[in-house]
Amino acid sequence: MNKIIDFALKNRLLIIVLSLFIVAGGYFSYKQLPIDAFPDVSPSLVQVFTQTEGLAPEEVEKYVTFPIETAMNGLPNLKSIRSVSNFGLSVVNIYFEDGTDIYFARQVVSERLTEARERIPEGFGDPQMGPISTGMGLVLFYYLEDETGKYSLEELRTIQDWLIKFQLQTVPGVTEVLGIGGWEKQFHVEVEPNALLRYDLSINDIVRIIKDNNLNVGASFIERDAEEFLVRSVGLATKIQDLENIVVKSVDGTPVYLKNVAKIKIGGAVRRGIQTHNGVEEVVAGMVVKLFGTNSSTVIGAVEEKMKEINKTLPEGIKLVPYYEQKTLVEAAVKTVTDALIQGIILVTIILMLFMSSLRPSIVVALSIPFSIMVAFIGMKFLGLSINLMSFGGLAIAIGMMVDASIVLVENIDRHKRLNSKEPFLKVVANASKEVLRPIIFAIIIIITVFIPLFTLHGVEGKTFKPLAYTIALAMVGSLIFAILIAPVLSSFFLKSKKTENKKNAEKETWIVRTLIKLYTPFLNFFVKHRIFAIILSVLLLLVGAFIYPRLGSEFTPTLQEGTLIVRLTMAPSISLEESKRITLIAEKRVLRVPEVRGTVTRIGRGEVGAHTDPINSAEMYVLLKPKSEWRAEINQEKIENEIREQVEGMPGVLLNFTQPIRMTVDELLEGVRAELAVKLFGDDLEILKNKAEEISNVLRKVRGAADIQVDQISGKPQLKITPDRHAIARYGLNLSDVQQVIRTAIGGETAGQIFEGIRRFPIFVRFTPEARSTKQEIANLLVSSPNGLHVPLSQIAKIEEIEGPRQITREQNQRFITIQCNVVGRDIGSFVEESQKAIDKNINLPVGYYTTWGGQFKLQQEANKRFAIVIPITLLLIFFLLFSSFNSLKNSLLIILNIPLALVGGIIALWLTGQNLSVPSSVGFIALFGIALENGMVLVTYFNQLVREGKLIDEASIEGAKLRLRPVLMTAITTALGLIPLLLATGAGSEVQRPLATVVIGGLFTSTILTLLVLPALYKWFVADKQEPTIS
Amino acid sequence: MNKKNIIYFILGILIGAGLTYYGFISYESLGNEVNKVKTEEEYEEAQNYVNISEKTMEEFGIKIKTAGPDKIVLHKDLTGEIIPNPYSVAHIVPRFKGVVIDIYKEIGDRVKKGEKIATIESNESLVRYDVTSSINGTIIAMHMTPGELIGDEKHIVTVANLNSVWAELNIYQQDLSEIKIGQKAEIFSPTHEVYTGKLFYISPVIDEATRTAVTRVKVQNRNGIWKPGMFVTAKVYTSAKIVNVAVPKDAVQNLNGEKVIFVKTEKGFTPRVVSLGIENGKNVEVLSGLHAGDIYVAKGAFIFKSELLKESFGGEEE
Repeated sequence: MNKIIDFALKNRLLIIVLSLFIVAGGYFSYKQLPIDAFPDVSPSLVQVFTQTEGLAPEEVEKYVTFPIETAMNGLPNLKSIRSVSNFGLSVVNIYFEDGTDIYFARQVVSERLTEARERIPEGFGDPQMGPISTGMGLVLFYYLEDETGKYSLEELRTIQDWLIKFQLQTVPGVTEVLGIGGWEKQFHVEVEPNALLRYDLSINDIVRIIKDNNLNVGASFIERDAEEFLVRSVGLATKIQDLENIVVKSVDGTPVYLKNVAKIKIGGAVRRGIQTHNGVEEVVAGMVVKLFGTNSSTVIGAVEEKMKEINKTLPEGIKLVPYYEQKTLVEAAVKTVTDALIQGIILVTIILMLFMSSLRPSIVVALSIPFSIMVAFIGMKFLGLSINLMSFGGLAIAIGMMVDASIVLVENIDRHKRLNSKEPFLKVVANASKEVLRPIIFAIIIIITVFIPLFTLHGVEGKTFKPLAYTIALAMVGSLIFAILIAPVLSSFFLKSKKTENKKNAEKETWIVRTLIKLYTPFLNFFVKHRIFAIILSVLLLLVGAFIYPRLGSEFTPTLQEGTLIVRLTMAPSISLEESKRITLIAEKRVLRVPEVRGTVTRIGRGEVGAHTDPINSAEMYVLLKPKSEWRAEINQEKIENEIREQVEGMPGVLLNFTQPIRMTVDELLEGVRAELAVKLFGDDLEILKNKAEEISNVLRKVRGAADIQVDQISGKPQLKITPDRHAIARYGLNLSDVQQVIRTAIGGETAGQIFEGIRRFPIFVRFTPEARSTKQEIANLLVSSPNGLHVPLSQIAKIEEIEGPRQITREQNQRFITIQCNVVGRDIGSFVEESQKAIDKNINLPVGYYTTWGGQFKLQQEANKRFAIVIPITLLLIFFLLFSSFNSLKNSLLIILNIPLALVGGIIALWLTGQNLSVPSSVGFIALFGIALENGMVLVTYFNQLVREGKLIDEASIEGAKLRLRPVLMTAITTALGLIPLLLATGAGSEVQRPLATVVIGGLFTSTILTLLVLPALYKWFVADKQEPTIS
Repeated sequence: MNKKNIIYFILGILIGAGLTYYGFISYESLGNEVNKVKTEEEYEEAQNYVNISEKTMEEFGIKIKTAGPDKIVLHKDLTGEIIPNPYSVAHIVPRFKGVVIDIYKEIGDRVKKGEKIATIESNESLVRYDVTSSINGTIIAMHMTPGELIGDEKHIVTVANLNSVWAELNIYQQDLSEIKIGQKAEIFSPTHEVYTGKLFYISPVIDEATRTAVTRVKVQNRNGIWKPGMFVTAKVYTSAKIVNVAVPKDAVQNLNGEKVIFVKTEKGFTPRVVSLGIENGKNVEVLSGLHAGDIYVAKGAFIFKSELLKESFGGEEE
């Protein structure tokens, strides 16, 4: 191993050149890394959307969802299939194992889709895959502002769909632009039922006739002389008049025109979503979806540029107003971390200068930071990581640790140089480096090892925190390379010339170190002499930790502040779009009462398929704030949020949620439920499912500890069910399809071709006038024409009833299911589940084919805990093994391991003092602490051993060693802590995730350093390696 | 002594390590802070009562009313056509075969009773005689030209008195039982003129081809709007009943498969299960569940229902 040092010192130029190459490589990697706000936590998912006009959930499920689902079975890497059949929309989510290549997944889905398409009946919709994007893909939202007020919502939507959309889609990195709001233009043919009766026509005749009278054909060409003339017949309707003058019938030569039986006008398509603005109006909006794997900032920048261009081409008075974009957030998040990074570097350098007597060794050590970061960048590029809050955060966390190895090395060189000023400097460097080489390598390997448990995290947490673990590990590798190859070389250059000057200061430390040693010595002496106090001190601390620990709250992951607030309104599932809009407008008005709110833009339901699948009872309000300069004095984001909360709270019939854009989208994409515990009841019959679920919830309610029990509301959407009576139909000589065709066309409407305006095309939609189909009574009076000229009212041949139907049908693994969610209070979930299972088995008789499964957050936690329960002991064992192979002494290793709990206590106390919770990031902090505490212990124990080997008495060695090692121990601890201070104090976007981590590490470092310096020397005597054992060379 | 210390020390460390290890891997109390365990009573309370401040009610456009008697009028929508009144149509048949000599009127001309319409020369006697109108009315059909030989079997002129016409409306079988002679009917022309009259006739048999019966309304037609052959629609008022309690239809909501009306009580508004009687487009009779004098939500009851169901629709949203 020592050969490495020799090699490096022999080939100094080579090393310098190589390191310059690495730095350059890092820089170029950095330039190519995509930049996101947060790691993309979206699952590997392909969504298949199918829009079916007018179908109820049951039919959507039967005709569309089921064929798609079954076609997808058995795909490679398939994890699960979940589907939702809604009114008019089927969404099948096909989840793949994490890490599956998205293009591969799409390809296999696409192959099967062809199969599925064949099984979906004609006219029931065409399944399409969602955009090639992820939950983070909705990078920019905008709406159309019409300053003139002259444009109708149809016109604005047409501008959006036919002008803006196509232009924005040409921007590289944009995979889709989805419109919502306003009305999609259609030509409405509103048929007067009485007129049909008068002229003896049926609605289906009208549809057929319109289709037959709207066509262009090509008829090849004719030759004349030497020229060819193309022949085409132009019969396409292009305007309302063309439609009006279609002859639908001719009686004795008198034509009956379409306008005689129907009103033709421009109207809007049936819509399942709208967009409102400022509590007063509807607007037309669009969403830009980013292509998978592209750089958010670049794409948004290009889109913004394009929008400026588009604005110039739009009609006077209309402009695009972006109201949400991720760029600000991405920039803010990166800025938060970059700031912390730079501040950390500065702080660390200052500390180095204070502790090392001069600038030069500090520079050598400080250079380790940029070098390690560059190595991390190369690694990130290699691993396909993006620059984001977590990966960058990992670097910020690691700043202090990056210098540790170099500190130990350079400090040792510095010390050796002062002691042996006679030897050639290169040899001094070599000897000093070799002395600490082994512990350095082991320490860094141990630090990387402690992060192993993080790599076993799954799901969202895994995706969130793995990048952090990766970058830390990568940076540590970088710092190791720097310490063993570059630092000796640099030291040999930089530290040499100081030799003469240093002679005067030989044996002298900087005043700070001297003062510290002076303060430290009495304590050290005391503890080494009265070991019992060292024990008391550590036990006391442990007790404090044990006392505080249960008082800490816990949360899974702190919420990332995205800087954009969304108020989410959920209304009754049976609500109509108009009522939904009315209530939303009221909510918007309320929010606008807060003076800092500049405006609100709300999406209700869904627009073009691809991004959202929300039903119309769900509304998402984006709250736009004024610039900070216009805020009232003494107000901050949190206070504004609270005021908004006050305003909207207490809206009757509305369930409120406060969320943020990315979080919301990700939540939607994630499979599973949000409660701790979920019982899923699988079965076929919705009625039975509902009843049995109700029974299960009643059983659960009686189990001790059950709280917030909630049965999924699968029903609640009123239906008007028309069941034709087959006998009655037969009596009139009708076919079932005659009846259903009328029902479908008259009430639901049917598309009868398109009208072309240039390349824009708009459907011709045939339907009864609203007056003839709006109520149950009117529908009962619809006339069905029989082949022999009879007109029969619908009520005479069909049963019409109002029932409650399913609001949506959810399926998983090819079966319908219903979820019973519940939280558990005051007892552990395991026993709760056991008891509940027994109670359910005893009290509830499930029909054949019905079964329950247990899931929920608890399952994820249990799985995570199970994994940790294996991985953490293994990690500890691994660390112990590493320590053992480093020290060759069981006792030494044990002594160092004992550092861990003492360090953890500090973390716990720090969390408690700052009022934070146990969470995944704080756990990451604890993990980092593991490594740092071990490193400190190693440095000290190594030196004690060395002194003992030199023949010193154990107590003497302890005291002297501790005094001499005070500088590196304090330096590594303080640099690590100070490197984290900026993260601790940061308030920018994303700081809330880093803060608990920084808190834990700083707190833990505090206790562990004190204990390393006081308890370790005191206890060393008991743990000293047996004389016979070979110690490190 | 020392050994003992070591044991204590290690024991302490192990306990501490155990605790922290446990802490590290367990998130089992996740989210517990937000859980509020409701008592059974509170649960009931939340399940059954809704309180909304007056200000909010106004904001949401909610209207409350006192229940009371009301008249509920029911009607049927029918279609049909205008036909001439057969009692005011004169089919004038020449008395003798002959040749048309002269015609004095044209189709559409008004004629008085006894007014000359045409002159015909009898084939048998070669005597000219006048064809006169037998009633006051308008000539609606004429089947002759001068010089034409016409027989005495077919009518040559139809004179109709269109001052009064009939609207003949078709009744579908299922509606027959409700439609009675004497009921009020409003007749609507395609140009939205309205005439109000009474049913004076219902056909005793049903047409075998169309399976409909007909009913008739006399329509006064002094200004000639109602032209025979015109397609008309009609509203026939089949019954009008004064009921003890009637509410607007919107006041009735479906809740858990039952019809409810939200009634004010001391604790707040509560859904009361009601049974309903007759209804028309706007109002509905309440047979039980709501008493005269009760204060109920007449408009915006949906919001009350939503508020009651609120807890349940926070479930899985897709």
